[in-house]
Amino acid sequence: MEDDEQQKKADLLQELVLRLVTQNPQTPNLDPNSPAFLEKLRYAFRILNSRLTPSVAPDATAIAESLKRRLATQGKSSDALAFADLYTKFASKTGPGSVNNKWALVYLLKIVSDDRKSAINGLDSSFLLPNLGFGDGFLRGGEAKKKDWENGVLLVSQDPENSWDEKEKAFRDYAVVVKKENEVNEEVLVRDVLYACQGIDGKYVKFNSEIDGYAIQDSVKVPRATRVMVRMLSELGWLFRKVKTFITESMDRFPAEEVGTVGQAFCAALQDELSVYYKLLAVLDARAMNPIPFVSEFASSDNYLTLRRLSLWFAEPMVKMRLMAVLVDKCKVLRGGAMAGAIHLHAQHGDWLVHDFMMNLLRCVCSPLFEMVRSWVLEGELEDTFGEFFVVGQPVKVDLLWREGYKLHPAMLPSFISPSLAQRILRTGKSINFLRVCCDDHGWADAASEAAAASGTTTRRGGLGYGETDALEHLVTEAAKRIDKHLLDVLYKRYKFKEHCLAIKRYLLLGQGDFVQYLMDIVGPKLSEPANNISSFELAGFLEAAIRASNAQYDDRDMLDRLRVKMMPHGSGDRGWDVFSLEYEARVPLDTVFTESVLSKYLRVFNFLWKLKRVEHALIGIWKTMKPNCITSNSFVKLQTSVKLQLLSALRRCQVLWNEMNHFVTNFQYYIMFEVLEVSWSNFSKEMEAAKDLDDLLAAHEKYLNAIVGKSLLGEQSQTIRESLFVLFELILRFRSHADRLYEGIYELQIRSKESGREKNKSEEPGSWISEGRKGLTQRAGEFLQSMSKDMDSIAKEYTSSLDGFLSLLPLQQSVDLKFLFFRLDFTEFYSRLHSKG
Amino acid sequence: MNREAAETARESLELVFRMSNILETGLDRHTLSVLIALCDIGLNPEALATLVKELRRDTTTPTTTTTLD
Repeated sequence: MEDDEQQKKADLLQELVLRLVTQNPQTPNLDPNSPAFLEKLRYAFRILNSRLTPSVAPDATAIAESLKRRLATQGKSSDALAFADLYTKFASKTGPGSVNNKWALVYLLKIVSDDRKSAINGLDSSFLLPNLGFGDGFLRGGEAKKKDWENGVLLVSQDPENSWDEKEKAFRDYAVVVKKENEVNEEVLVRDVLYACQGIDGKYVKFNSEIDGYAIQDSVKVPRATRVMVRMLSELGWLFRKVKTFITESMDRFPAEEVGTVGQAFCAALQDELSVYYKLLAVLDARAMNPIPFVSEFASSDNYLTLRRLSLWFAEPMVKMRLMAVLVDKCKVLRGGAMAGAIHLHAQHGDWLVHDFMMNLLRCVCSPLFEMVRSWVLEGELEDTFGEFFVVGQPVKVDLLWREGYKLHPAMLPSFISPSLAQRILRTGKSINFLRVCCDDHGWADAASEAAAASGTTTRRGGLGYGETDALEHLVTEAAKRIDKHLLDVLYKRYKFKEHCLAIKRYLLLGQGDFVQYLMDIVGPKLSEPANNISSFELAGFLEAAIRASNAQYDDRDMLDRLRVKMMPHGSGDRGWDVFSLEYEARVPLDTVFTESVLSKYLRVFNFLWKLKRVEHALIGIWKTMKPNCITSNSFVKLQTSVKLQLLSALRRCQVLWNEMNHFVTNFQYYIMFEVLEVSWSNFSKEMEAAKDLDDLLAAHEKYLNAIVGKSLLGEQSQTIRESLFVLFELILRFRSHADRLYEGIYELQIRSKESGREKNKSEEPGSWISEGRKGLTQRAGEFLQSMSKDMDSIAKEYTSSLDGFLSLLPLQQSVDLKFLFFRLDFTEFYSRLHSKG
Repeated sequence: MNREAAETARESLELVFRMSNILETGLDRHTLSVLIALCDIGLNPEALATLVKELRRDTTTPTTTTTLD
């Protein structure tokens, strides 16, 4: 086989030489057997044997590519495309009959065409011959042949044959240029930047306080691009410094108690992030140890670091560090819930990286807050040594615990907790404390654990975290619901709140009619004396008597015990009527509802009602004495007709006046008792049923009391009308005394006349007007009646005018019910006609 | 050689001839076929190219126009 091949080779070679020689215009028609031909043949053999291996990697595609490029650069783009096309077709031909050694062929063509070109261009073709000898040694350690700047391109080598060599030479020249410009190695710079990012000054990169950042010193000679790059990368160092200073400062300040638990949590979270950052820096440090391979060399491993690679590594840490620095700036002056709120605002970000980072941070930061909320809501404990919670407590007396013991501190309220939720939280904790302190109740613990179970968390610590605001809300709602219900249950059942309200209504608001009647009957005469003479013990005795005499004795003893007589502080001229009042004692916990101010309002209402009742009592008293039939039926026949007429007219006037007054008083009392008191009470009952927590209850009670005060003309707007009302009351009382006198006089007259009738034969007694006889009697009677009538007239006139005044003021009032009162008082339009007449 | 192989061979030669024309090597079909055969055997192409050049060397006149078939 070998011989065959050799033979073939020889034959082919001969053929080739022949053809080439014949082609050669200088030696045409050479005889194959001539010595010149043989010489050439031998030469050919020598050339062939001199080289054993090709000096270029056998990559046909690369050679074809370079050929194409050359064609393109020469401007023969169509040729280049055609060549490419042909080559593709050629390369795709495989199988028997095709060329196996394609690259060799293409390479051959290349060299031949090169030669032709160079021959055409007139370069020395002997240029090429040194290839023969230097082939192998050429690649390694050769010198650049020529350096020339051509059209702005550094033409490093003009060796058109070996493209691989070209690249090598180019890179070597580049290295030289780079070395000229940079005094400092890139590896050293990378290491310096890494130091800077930990806040440490490196050899060349130091902290420059003028520009407030890390930069390469001006004395070092580096190209501007590198300088700028280092400056950008060391921004990370600047941010790191900021964050680290904040952490160390906070840690130092902590014993001074300026930094609270939330601040601490924030520092802890920041330190966690920084430890991740340190890990990254450690990895980068290890990589920076690897030498940076030169551009043309094939890198031994992927793990080296250049400034550019570093900028890629730092992209994510830069974002995070920037965030941390911004937060640090924001939170320098904030504490507690305000800090959490500020950080939360920053977490509203669309980028998922930032969002995740902030969520982690917030979870750490808000954990103390959430813990505080949980313990407050489930146990009523306020463990807040640094004043960071938004609920603040103050030490107050027991009866003010509900209203003023705990308040919201809006500055510390973080923005992710809404104000209504905060109110609910406050109320729940307050309720627990209230139950514990005032009601002496311990059932709330069950309610609390039930609530926790219902909302899926536990009563232990660490149940909740940030981002679970819904869970928190749920927990708070559940707890609030249960505890409120529990509180109201306790109030209603154990402390009988409703019953107490009813008792107050019955006694202080004169709802228990029979009791009031008895009381008035007993106490009335006593109260007409000056206030100094009355002792409260006596009055207490009277109160007991009244209670026993009426239905009130069947009431609950507990409530009756609380009912007392109170003598208000009085001056010297006061009568008993002015200073008498009843009071109801409210104990813990009901005194949160019935506070001092509330009880004083009740007192006012009581006084007013008591006055009204007194007036009514007076009128009824007159009615009792005013038995017209009894008087007129008596035989006054002994009197003269004129006197009789006078008597009758006096009586009549009295009756008429009494009627008017009675009409007024009855209607007014009806208005007060039913339209004001009963209506308000039913409204209040309804609201009490509907109340869900103590705040609601307090509000309802307040409304009830205010409605009563307003509608019964005790408010501030009703000042004038109240005065006219009291004037009317005065008049009525005066009338009473007059009427009393009148009837007394008449009665006496009656007796006298009877006696005088009977004792006609009696001896005369000196100084007695009986002895004057009938004439004297008549005269007396006449005078008496006259004076009485005059008084009566004056009273009547005054009364009419006062009532007129009262009625004119009435429609001006706000309340709608007063309009109905007005209608009732003047339903016959008697007064308005009177008024219009003049 | 069967017909298919012959066909392939002919086409390949055609392609190579056209490529060499684009590159202006001045080689004709016959010479090219010989060269192809020599390359296929395994001779060093550089050497062959040098051979070609040497044997043509005496043509110093820049006859630019090569015969394009």
